[in-house]
Amino acid sequence: MDNRASKYMLIVLTVLCVVLIVLSSIESGYINPLRNAVGYVLVPIQKGINSVGTGIYNAVSDAESLRNASRENQELRAQIDTLLEENNRLKSDTLELARLRELYQLDQDYMQYPKVAARVIAKDSEKWFQVFRIDKGSADGIEPDMNVLCGGGLLGIVTDVGANYATVRSIIDDESRVSAMSQVSADTCIVAGDLQLFEDGRLRISNIDKNAGISDGDAIVTSNISTKFLPGILIGYAADIQVDAQQLTKSGTLIPVADFDNLQEVFVITQKKADMQQEGGEES
Amino acid sequence: MSLKIRRTLKRILVYMLLILLAFMIQTGVFPLLPVFSSVPNLLLILTFSLGFIYGSVTGMLCGLFAGILMDLFSGGPFGFYSLVFIYIGYFNGIFTKYYYDDFITLPLILCGINELAYHLYIYVARFLVRGKLDIGFYFVDIILPELLFSLIVTLFIYRIFLKANKRLDTIEQKRGQNVA
Repeated sequence: MDNRASKYMLIVLTVLCVVLIVLSSIESGYINPLRNAVGYVLVPIQKGINSVGTGIYNAVSDAESLRNASRENQELRAQIDTLLEENNRLKSDTLELARLRELYQLDQDYMQYPKVAARVIAKDSEKWFQVFRIDKGSADGIEPDMNVLCGGGLLGIVTDVGANYATVRSIIDDESRVSAMSQVSADTCIVAGDLQLFEDGRLRISNIDKNAGISDGDAIVTSNISTKFLPGILIGYAADIQVDAQQLTKSGTLIPVADFDNLQEVFVITQKKADMQQEGGEES
Repeated sequence: MSLKIRRTLKRILVYMLLILLAFMIQTGVFPLLPVFSSVPNLLLILTFSLGFIYGSVTGMLCGLFAGILMDLFSGGPFGFYSLVFIYIGYFNGIFTKYYYDDFITLPLILCGINELAYHLYIYVARFLVRGKLDIGFYFVDIILPELLFSLIVTLFIYRIFLKANKRLDTIEQKRGQNVA
Protein backbone atom coordinates (compact mmCIF):
# COMPACT_ATOMS: atom_id res chain seq x y z
CA MET A 1 0.00 0.00 0.00
CA ASP A 2 2.51 2.58 1.12
CA ASN A 3 5.35 1.55 -1.09
CA ARG A 4 5.82 5.00 -2.50
CA ALA A 5 5.28 6.70 0.85
CA SER A 6 7.93 4.55 2.50
CA LYS A 7 10.35 5.33 -0.32
CA TYR A 8 9.87 9.07 0.20
CA MET A 9 10.29 8.54 3.91
CA LEU A 10 13.56 6.70 3.32
CA ILE A 11 14.86 9.52 1.14
CA VAL A 12 13.86 12.20 3.67
CA LEU A 13 15.42 10.30 6.58
CA THR A 14 18.59 9.59 4.59
CA VAL A 15 19.03 13.26 3.71
CA LEU A 16 18.37 14.17 7.34
CA CYS A 17 20.99 11.72 8.60
CA VAL A 18 23.60 12.83 6.07
CA VAL A 19 23.01 16.48 6.95
CA LEU A 20 23.33 15.63 10.64
CA ILE A 21 26.53 13.65 10.07
CA VAL A 22 28.07 16.53 8.15
CA LEU A 23 26.89 19.15 10.67
CA SER A 24 28.06 17.21 13.72
CA SER A 25 31.41 16.46 12.09
CA ILE A 26 31.99 20.17 11.66
CA GLU A 27 30.56 21.36 14.99
CA SER A 28 29.34 18.83 17.51
CA GLY A 29 27.63 21.45 19.68
CA TYR A 30 24.36 21.38 17.68
CA ILE A 31 23.33 18.07 19.17
CA ASN A 32 23.97 18.95 22.80
CA PRO A 33 20.40 19.94 23.77
CA LEU A 34 19.15 16.58 22.48
CA ARG A 35 21.98 14.72 24.17
CA ASN A 36 21.20 16.46 27.46
CA ALA A 37 17.48 15.79 27.25
CA VAL A 38 17.98 12.10 26.55
CA GLY A 39 20.74 11.95 29.14
CA TYR A 40 18.34 13.10 31.86
CA VAL A 41 16.08 10.14 31.10
CA LEU A 42 18.63 7.44 30.33
CA VAL A 43 21.50 8.04 32.71
CA PRO A 44 19.54 7.32 35.94
CA ILE A 45 18.30 4.05 34.40
CA GLN A 46 21.79 3.15 33.22
CA LYS A 47 23.14 3.92 36.67
CA GLY A 48 20.51 1.64 38.20
CA ILE A 49 21.15 -1.22 35.81
CA ASN A 50 24.86 -0.82 36.28
CA SER A 51 24.74 -0.86 40.07
CA VAL A 52 22.49 -3.94 40.06
CA GLY A 53 24.72 -5.68 37.53
CA THR A 54 27.90 -4.71 39.37
CA GLY A 55 26.31 -5.88 42.62
CA ILE A 56 25.53 -9.29 41.18
CA TYR A 57 28.94 -9.51 39.58
CA ASN A 58 30.65 -8.60 42.85
CA ALA A 59 28.48 -11.02 44.86
CA VAL A 60 29.46 -13.87 42.54
CA SER A 61 33.13 -13.03 42.69
CA ASP A 62 32.84 -12.54 46.48
CA ALA A 63 31.55 -16.07 46.96
CA GLU A 64 34.42 -17.38 44.89
CA SER A 65 37.05 -15.46 46.73
CA LEU A 66 35.66 -16.36 50.18
CA ARG A 67 37.07 -19.84 49.82
CA ASN A 68 40.58 -18.58 49.42
CA ALA A 69 40.15 -15.80 51.93
CA SER A 70 40.99 -17.56 55.17
CA ARG A 71 44.16 -19.10 53.80
CA GLU A 72 45.12 -15.78 52.34
CA ASN A 73 44.37 -14.08 55.64
CA GLN A 74 47.08 -16.05 57.42
CA GLU A 75 49.62 -15.36 54.75
CA LEU A 76 48.74 -11.68 54.78
CA ARG A 77 49.14 -11.38 58.55
CA ALA A 78 52.66 -12.59 58.18
CA GLN A 79 53.20 -10.10 55.41
CA ILE A 80 51.88 -7.19 57.46
CA ASP A 81 54.82 -7.40 59.82
CA THR A 82 57.36 -7.19 57.09
CA LEU A 83 55.40 -4.49 55.33
CA LEU A 84 55.14 -2.34 58.45
CA GLU A 85 58.85 -2.35 58.70
CA GLU A 86 59.20 -1.58 55.02
CA ASN A 87 56.59 1.16 55.28
CA ASN A 88 58.57 3.03 57.87
CA ARG A 89 61.58 2.92 55.67
CA LEU A 90 59.57 4.07 52.63
CA LYS A 91 58.03 6.93 54.57
CA SER A 92 61.41 8.42 55.11
CA ASP A 93 62.17 7.78 51.46
CA THR A 94 59.00 9.65 50.49
CA LEU A 95 60.04 12.67 52.47
CA GLU A 96 63.35 12.57 50.75
CA LEU A 97 61.64 12.23 47.39
CA ALA A 98 59.44 15.26 48.08
CA ARG A 99 62.49 17.29 48.86
CA LEU A 100 64.24 16.11 45.74
CA ARG A 101 61.16 16.81 43.61
CA GLU A 102 61.13 20.34 44.84
CA LEU A 103 64.77 20.60 44.02
CA TYR A 104 64.20 19.37 40.51
CA GLN A 105 61.01 21.39 40.18
CA LEU A 106 59.08 18.39 39.00
CA ASP A 107 55.82 20.14 39.72
CA GLN A 108 54.41 18.96 36.42
CA ASP A 109 53.99 15.49 37.82
CA TYR A 110 50.45 14.35 37.15
CA MET A 111 49.78 13.45 40.78
CA GLN A 112 49.18 17.13 41.35
CA TYR A 113 46.50 17.62 38.69
CA PRO A 114 43.00 18.23 40.17
CA LYS A 115 40.90 15.11 39.69
CA VAL A 116 37.25 14.07 39.90
CA ALA A 117 36.30 10.44 40.52
CA ALA A 118 33.61 8.94 38.28
CA ARG A 119 31.93 5.61 37.78
CA VAL A 120 31.67 3.78 34.46
CA ILE A 121 27.96 3.18 33.81
CA ALA A 122 27.83 1.87 30.26
CA LYS A 123 30.14 0.56 27.60
CA ASP A 124 29.88 0.12 23.86
CA SER A 125 29.16 -3.59 23.45
CA GLU A 126 30.53 -3.62 19.93
CA LYS A 127 34.12 -4.66 19.59
CA TRP A 128 34.79 -2.10 16.88
CA PHE A 129 34.96 0.76 19.33
CA GLN A 130 36.29 1.17 22.86
CA VAL A 131 33.99 3.88 24.14
CA PHE A 132 32.32 4.12 27.52
CA ARG A 133 30.11 6.43 29.51
CA ILE A 134 30.75 7.83 33.00
CA ASP A 135 28.25 9.25 35.48
CA LYS A 136 29.73 12.75 35.76
CA GLY A 137 29.00 15.50 33.27
CA SER A 138 29.17 19.24 32.68
CA ALA A 139 27.32 19.78 35.98
CA ASP A 140 30.37 18.31 37.73
CA GLY A 141 32.78 20.44 35.73
CA ILE A 142 33.65 17.85 33.09
CA GLU A 143 34.47 19.23 29.64
CA PRO A 144 35.47 17.63 26.33
CA ASP A 145 39.20 16.89 25.92
CA MET A 146 39.74 16.26 29.63
CA ASN A 147 42.09 13.34 30.33
CA VAL A 148 40.85 10.23 32.11
CA LEU A 149 43.05 8.06 34.35
CA CYS A 150 42.63 4.63 35.88
CA GLY A 151 44.98 2.51 37.94
CA GLY A 152 47.74 5.11 37.77
CA GLY A 153 47.85 5.29 34.00
CA LEU A 154 46.25 7.13 31.12
CA LEU A 155 42.90 5.59 30.17
CA GLY A 156 41.37 7.91 27.62
CA ILE A 157 39.91 11.29 26.80
CA VAL A 158 36.44 12.82 27.18
CA THR A 159 34.92 13.19 23.71
CA ASP A 160 31.56 14.71 24.54
CA VAL A 161 29.65 15.79 27.59
CA GLY A 162 26.02 15.89 28.66
CA ALA A 163 24.70 17.56 31.77
CA ASN A 164 24.96 14.42 33.89
CA TYR A 165 27.19 12.09 31.86
CA ALA A 166 30.27 12.12 29.67
CA THR A 167 31.50 9.86 26.91
CA VAL A 168 35.11 8.70 27.09
CA ARG A 169 37.19 7.19 24.31
CA SER A 170 39.87 4.79 25.57
CA ILE A 171 43.39 5.04 24.24
CA ILE A 172 42.97 1.44 23.05
CA ASP A 173 40.26 2.55 20.61
CA ASP A 174 41.46 2.10 17.05
CA GLU A 175 40.93 5.80 16.33
CA SER A 176 42.93 7.00 19.32
CA ARG A 177 46.36 8.59 18.83
CA VAL A 178 48.37 10.05 21.69
CA SER A 179 51.50 12.09 21.31
CA ALA A 180 53.94 10.57 23.80
CA MET A 181 57.58 10.46 24.80
CA SER A 182 60.02 8.30 26.67
CA GLN A 183 60.35 9.32 30.30
CA VAL A 184 64.07 8.63 30.24
CA SER A 185 65.27 10.05 26.95
CA ALA A 186 62.35 12.43 26.15
CA ASP A 187 62.29 11.16 22.56
CA THR A 188 58.82 11.62 21.08
CA CYS A 189 56.60 8.96 19.57
CA ILE A 190 52.95 8.26 18.79
CA VAL A 191 50.92 5.80 20.88
CA ALA A 192 47.98 4.55 18.84
CA GLY A 193 45.19 2.14 19.68
CA ASP A 194 45.04 -0.91 17.44
CA LEU A 195 42.23 -3.42 17.36
CA GLN A 196 44.58 -6.19 16.27
CA LEU A 197 47.05 -5.60 19.11
CA PHE A 198 44.29 -5.00 21.64
CA GLU A 199 43.70 -8.77 21.74
CA ASP A 200 47.07 -9.13 23.47
CA GLY A 201 46.34 -6.09 25.67
CA ARG A 202 48.78 -3.87 23.82
CA LEU A 203 48.94 -0.61 21.90
CA ARG A 204 51.15 0.43 19.02
CA ILE A 205 54.08 2.83 19.29
CA SER A 206 55.25 4.42 16.07
CA ASN A 207 57.05 7.43 14.62
CA ILE A 208 60.11 6.99 16.82
CA ASP A 209 63.19 8.52 15.30
CA LYS A 210 65.71 5.86 14.25
CA ASN A 211 68.38 7.31 16.48
CA ALA A 212 66.08 7.82 19.46
CA GLY A 213 67.03 6.18 22.72
CA ILE A 214 63.76 4.39 23.37
CA SER A 215 64.28 0.74 24.20
CA ASP A 216 62.20 -2.14 25.56
CA GLY A 217 60.90 -1.56 29.08
CA ASP A 218 61.14 2.24 28.98
CA ALA A 219 58.28 4.13 30.64
CA ILE A 220 56.24 6.01 28.03
CA VAL A 221 54.46 9.17 29.18
CA THR A 222 52.31 11.78 27.44
CA SER A 223 54.51 14.34 25.75
CA ASN A 224 54.86 18.07 26.28
CA ILE A 225 53.89 18.83 22.70
CA SER A 226 50.52 17.05 22.77
CA THR A 227 47.62 19.44 22.17
CA LYS A 228 45.05 17.52 24.21
CA PHE A 229 46.94 15.39 26.73
CA LEU A 230 48.57 16.86 29.82
CA PRO A 231 52.32 16.21 29.97
CA GLY A 232 53.91 13.50 32.08
CA ILE A 233 51.02 11.06 32.49
CA LEU A 234 52.24 7.48 32.47
CA ILE A 235 50.78 5.44 29.59
CA GLY A 236 52.74 2.21 29.80
CA TYR A 237 55.99 0.48 28.96
CA ALA A 238 57.60 0.03 25.56
CA ALA A 239 58.18 -3.45 24.13
CA ASP A 240 59.32 -5.07 20.87
CA ILE A 241 60.96 -1.89 19.57
CA GLN A 242 62.31 -2.52 16.09
CA VAL A 243 63.59 -0.46 13.18
CA ASP A 244 60.93 -0.09 10.46
CA ALA A 245 61.36 -1.43 6.96
CA GLN A 246 62.19 1.98 5.45
CA GLN A 247 65.08 2.36 7.95
CA LEU A 248 63.97 5.86 9.00
CA THR A 249 61.84 5.24 12.05
CA LYS A 250 61.36 2.68 14.78
CA SER A 251 58.11 1.22 16.07
CA GLY A 252 56.92 -1.34 18.54
CA THR A 253 54.19 -2.13 21.03
CA LEU A 254 53.25 -0.70 24.41
CA ILE A 255 52.02 -2.54 27.50
CA PRO A 256 49.53 -0.15 29.13
CA VAL A 257 49.42 0.53 32.87
CA ALA A 258 45.65 1.03 33.07
CA ASP A 259 43.48 -2.08 33.27
CA PHE A 260 41.00 -1.91 30.40
CA ASP A 261 39.18 -5.18 31.07
CA ASN A 262 37.47 -4.38 34.33
CA LEU A 263 36.61 -0.71 34.34
CA GLN A 264 34.58 0.55 37.29
CA GLU A 265 36.09 3.67 38.85
CA VAL A 266 38.02 6.23 36.86
CA PHE A 267 39.49 9.67 37.51
CA VAL A 268 38.95 12.68 35.30
CA ILE A 269 41.58 15.42 35.41
CA THR A 270 39.62 18.68 35.49
CA GLN A 271 42.46 20.69 34.04
CA LYS A 272 42.79 20.94 30.28
CA LYS A 273 45.93 21.18 28.21
CA ALA A 274 44.42 23.96 26.11
CA ASP A 275 43.75 26.11 29.21
CA MET A 276 47.24 25.44 30.52
CA GLN A 277 48.79 26.64 27.29
CA GLN A 278 46.68 29.81 27.37
CA GLU A 279 47.76 30.58 30.92
CA GLY A 280 51.35 29.89 30.03
CA GLY A 281 51.06 32.16 27.02
CA GLU A 282 49.65 35.02 29.07
CA GLU A 283 52.41 34.77 31.61
CA SER A 284 55.23 34.92 29.13
CA MET B 1 -10.79 5.37 13.68
CA SER B 2 -9.78 6.65 17.09
CA LEU B 3 -9.46 3.04 18.20
CA LYS B 4 -7.00 2.43 15.38
CA ILE B 5 -4.96 5.46 16.35
CA ARG B 6 -4.95 4.36 19.94
CA ARG B 7 -3.78 0.91 18.93
CA THR B 8 -1.02 2.36 16.80
CA LEU B 9 0.11 4.65 19.61
CA LYS B 10 0.15 1.77 22.03
CA ARG B 11 2.21 -0.33 19.64
CA ILE B 12 4.67 2.51 19.08
CA LEU B 13 5.06 2.86 22.85
CA VAL B 14 5.62 -0.88 23.29
CA TYR B 15 8.26 -0.98 20.54
CA MET B 16 10.03 2.08 21.88
CA LEU B 17 10.21 0.51 25.33
CA LEU B 18 11.48 -2.74 23.79
CA ILE B 19 14.24 -0.95 21.89
CA LEU B 20 15.13 1.05 25.00
CA LEU B 21 15.36 -2.16 27.01
CA ALA B 22 17.54 -3.79 24.37
CA PHE B 23 19.81 -0.74 24.35
CA MET B 24 20.12 -0.79 28.14
CA ILE B 25 20.96 -4.49 28.18
CA GLN B 26 23.47 -4.06 25.41
CA THR B 27 25.37 -1.16 26.97
CA GLY B 28 24.80 -1.83 30.68
CA VAL B 29 24.62 -5.59 31.19
CA PHE B 30 26.60 -7.24 28.39
CA PRO B 31 29.86 -5.40 29.15
CA LEU B 32 29.72 -6.87 32.67
CA LEU B 33 29.90 -10.38 31.23
CA PRO B 34 33.57 -10.80 30.42
CA VAL B 35 33.00 -14.51 29.76
CA PHE B 36 31.65 -13.78 26.30
CA SER B 37 34.17 -12.26 23.98
CA SER B 38 31.33 -11.20 21.72
CA VAL B 39 27.69 -10.32 22.31
CA PRO B 40 24.62 -10.40 20.06
CA ASN B 41 23.46 -7.13 18.57
CA LEU B 42 19.98 -6.84 20.09
CA LEU B 43 19.13 -3.49 18.50
CA LEU B 44 19.87 -4.86 15.06
CA ILE B 45 17.78 -7.97 15.70
CA LEU B 46 14.83 -5.88 16.95
CA THR B 47 14.97 -3.45 14.05
CA PHE B 48 15.07 -6.08 11.35
CA SER B 49 12.44 -8.29 13.03
CA LEU B 50 9.99 -5.39 13.33
CA GLY B 51 10.73 -4.32 9.79
CA PHE B 52 10.24 -7.85 8.49
CA ILE B 53 6.97 -8.39 10.34
CA TYR B 54 5.32 -4.97 9.91
CA GLY B 55 6.89 -3.50 6.79
CA SER B 56 9.22 -0.71 5.79
CA VAL B 57 7.61 2.21 7.63
CA THR B 58 7.66 0.49 11.01
CA GLY B 59 11.14 -0.79 10.28
CA MET B 60 12.44 2.66 9.45
CA LEU B 61 10.90 4.27 12.53
CA CYS B 62 12.30 1.57 14.81
CA GLY B 63 15.65 1.89 13.06
CA LEU B 64 15.58 5.64 13.55
CA PHE B 65 14.90 5.28 17.25
CA ALA B 66 17.56 2.59 17.76
CA GLY B 67 20.04 4.57 15.68
CA ILE B 68 19.48 7.78 17.63
CA LEU B 69 20.14 5.92 20.89
CA MET B 70 23.39 4.54 19.49
CA ASP B 71 24.39 7.93 18.11
CA LEU B 72 23.74 9.66 21.41
CA PHE B 73 25.85 7.08 23.14
CA SER B 74 28.78 6.73 20.79
CA GLY B 75 29.96 10.33 20.57
CA GLY B 76 31.00 9.95 16.92
CA PRO B 77 29.40 11.94 14.10
CA PHE B 78 25.68 12.15 14.85
CA GLY B 79 23.58 10.18 12.38
CA PHE B 80 26.20 7.53 11.65
CA TYR B 81 24.20 4.74 13.27
CA SER B 82 20.76 6.20 12.50
CA LEU B 83 21.53 6.00 8.79
CA VAL B 84 22.42 2.31 8.75
CA PHE B 85 19.59 1.31 11.10
CA ILE B 86 17.02 3.15 8.95
CA TYR B 87 18.22 1.28 5.87
CA ILE B 88 18.12 -2.05 7.70
CA GLY B 89 14.53 -1.36 8.76
CA TYR B 90 13.57 -0.34 5.24
CA PHE B 91 15.13 -3.22 3.32
CA ASN B 92 13.86 -5.88 5.69
CA GLY B 93 10.44 -4.31 5.37
CA ILE B 94 10.49 -5.14 1.67
CA PHE B 95 10.54 -8.82 2.56
CA THR B 96 7.42 -8.48 4.66
CA LYS B 97 5.37 -9.94 1.80
CA TYR B 98 7.13 -13.26 2.38
CA TYR B 99 6.34 -13.11 6.06
CA TYR B 100 4.14 -15.76 7.57
CA ASP B 101 4.05 -17.40 10.99
CA ASP B 102 6.46 -20.15 11.96
CA PHE B 103 8.75 -19.48 9.04
CA ILE B 104 12.16 -19.09 10.61
CA THR B 105 14.55 -19.74 7.70
CA LEU B 106 14.12 -16.40 5.98
CA PRO B 107 14.52 -14.36 9.19
CA LEU B 108 17.73 -16.23 9.91
CA ILE B 109 19.08 -15.58 6.42
CA LEU B 110 18.08 -11.93 6.74
CA CYS B 111 19.78 -11.74 10.13
CA GLY B 112 23.02 -13.00 8.60
CA ILE B 113 22.86 -10.55 5.70
CA ASN B 114 21.99 -7.66 8.01
CA GLU B 115 24.89 -8.39 10.35
CA LEU B 116 27.28 -8.58 7.40
CA ALA B 117 26.00 -5.35 5.87
CA TYR B 118 26.04 -3.52 9.20
CA HIS B 119 29.61 -4.48 10.04
CA LEU B 120 30.82 -3.87 6.52
CA TYR B 121 29.35 -0.37 6.81
CA ILE B 122 31.24 0.27 10.06
CA TYR B 123 34.43 -1.24 8.66
CA VAL B 124 34.39 0.80 5.45
CA ALA B 125 33.30 4.07 7.05
CA ARG B 126 35.52 4.01 10.12
CA PHE B 127 38.42 1.62 9.46
CA LEU B 128 39.06 1.21 5.74
CA VAL B 129 39.11 5.00 5.26
CA ARG B 130 42.00 5.14 7.73
CA GLY B 131 43.96 2.58 5.75
CA LYS B 132 43.24 -0.46 7.91
CA LEU B 133 43.19 -3.07 5.19
CA ASP B 134 43.31 -6.36 7.05
CA ILE B 135 39.65 -7.22 6.57
CA GLY B 136 40.37 -10.91 7.16
CA PHE B 137 41.33 -10.24 10.75
CA TYR B 138 38.32 -8.05 11.42
CA PHE B 139 36.02 -10.59 9.84
CA VAL B 140 37.26 -13.53 11.87
CA ASP B 141 37.73 -11.60 15.08
CA ILE B 142 34.71 -9.33 15.25
CA ILE B 143 32.14 -9.95 12.55
CA LEU B 144 31.93 -13.74 12.61
CA PRO B 145 31.51 -14.21 16.40
CA GLU B 146 28.84 -11.54 16.62
CA LEU B 147 27.08 -12.93 13.56
CA LEU B 148 26.90 -16.43 15.04
CA PHE B 149 25.76 -15.10 18.40
CA SER B 150 23.08 -12.97 16.78
CA LEU B 151 21.82 -15.92 14.73
CA ILE B 152 21.36 -18.01 17.87
CA VAL B 153 19.62 -15.17 19.68
CA THR B 154 17.40 -14.49 16.66
CA LEU B 155 16.34 -18.12 16.72
CA PHE B 156 14.93 -17.62 20.24
CA ILE B 157 13.88 -13.99 20.27
CA TYR B 158 12.06 -14.18 16.97
CA ARG B 159 9.93 -17.10 18.20
CA ILE B 160 9.08 -15.34 21.46
CA PHE B 161 8.37 -12.22 19.50
CA LEU B 162 5.93 -13.98 17.19
CA LYS B 163 4.04 -15.47 20.11
CA ALA B 164 3.85 -12.19 21.99
CA ASN B 165 2.71 -10.57 18.82
CA LYS B 166 -0.08 -13.07 18.18
CA ARG B 167 -1.25 -12.50 21.70
CA LEU B 168 -1.31 -8.72 21.27
CA ASP B 169 -3.32 -9.20 18.09
CA THR B 170 -5.90 -11.46 19.71
CA ILE B 171 -6.28 -9.16 22.73
CA GLU B 172 -6.81 -6.22 20.45
CA GLN B 173 -9.33 -8.14 18.35
CA LYS B 174 -11.31 -9.10 21.43
CA ARG B 175 -11.30 -5.55 22.69
CA GLY B 176 -12.35 -4.32 19.30
CA GLN B 177 -15.32 -6.72 19.37
CA ASN B 178 -16.27 -5.62 22.87
CA VAL B 179 -16.25 -2.00 21.90
CA ALA B 180 -18.25 -2.73 18.77
